[in-house]
Amino acid sequence: MSGLQETSPGRGCAARRLANALLQSYGATQVTIRVADPSTGDTGSQLGIEPPPSEDLQIAPCVATSLPPSEDGSPRFEFMLSATALAPIAKDHGVTDVATWLLTAEGVLHHDQLMHIDHVIVDRFSGSDCFYRIQATE
Amino acid sequence: MQPTKDSLYIALRDRLVAVDPNRTVTLDGVTRPAIAVLENEPPSGAPLLCDTFYLHWGNARSASLQAGTLMAMDCTIAYCTKGSVPNASLDRGRDLASLDCDLLAICSPPQTPKYDYSSSPPLALASTIFWTQPVLTAAKSVSPYVGRDVTITVFFYPEVNQT
Repeated sequence: MSGLQETSPGRGCAARRLANALLQSYGATQVTIRVADPSTGDTGSQLGIEPPPSEDLQIAPCVATSLPPSEDGSPRFEFMLSATALAPIAKDHGVTDVATWLLTAEGVLHHDQLMHIDHVIVDRFSGSDCFYRIQATE
Repeated sequence: MQPTKDSLYIALRDRLVAVDPNRTVTLDGVTRPAIAVLENEPPSGAPLLCDTFYLHWGNARSASLQAGTLMAMDCTIAYCTKGSVPNASLDRGRDLASLDCDLLAICSPPQTPKYDYSSSPPLALASTIFWTQPVLTAAKSVSPYVGRDVTITVFFYPEVNQT
């Protein structure tokens, strides 16, 4: 019975909506994630001659939190996104594994600085992905 | 030096397509032969993919005093596998052997013409690069992966105006 409750679609949907509402309550902050467009797969891109085209995705709501700096003193931030906000964008890009997709993104644009994505942590409640926490370093 | 790096990669890639056309990987949303030069790929925090040959370039130096301007450059080819889910990863040793077999096949013959791929179409540089027989290190097992590094030394004559 408890297993049924954990995988209930209704509970998962409610948890996702609650997570999104929680982030909305912090304000209408948005974050820009730069992802590489699928390259043409030609020799030029495989040899690093032509940079792969990229696309900036603006995602809201988002909560940005400062983290302790890295060992070399570089500023680090955590960007918390809701699964509800990411779902339509991931669908448009044909993504099924959102966490891996975020981890392979080129970075997070923060104050005109492209930050490298170090980790992506997924918070799951009631069997559903609710939050994606992106930890990035300048 | 760059034409040497590019020519080796293209030679190994094209040979892999001929030797094992099913050994492909999806990188940046595109399915391609499962071989890549790490320094040519976008920097990313993502782990390297299984069942893919990754080329790393190492030291470059003069080959020997007697060989004139001949230069040598080390290349490490790293790969790993975790077997298949239907076989509960018990076949990872067999998969590694299959990768070994493909790698030995694509490294032979140990030579290829050198091209400058920065121009289109690629410009033949009227010289050949050649390399040593692959040296397979001991397999490294870090559960659930098993993999190994293979090293070759590539010999080439530097072009006067090449970058």
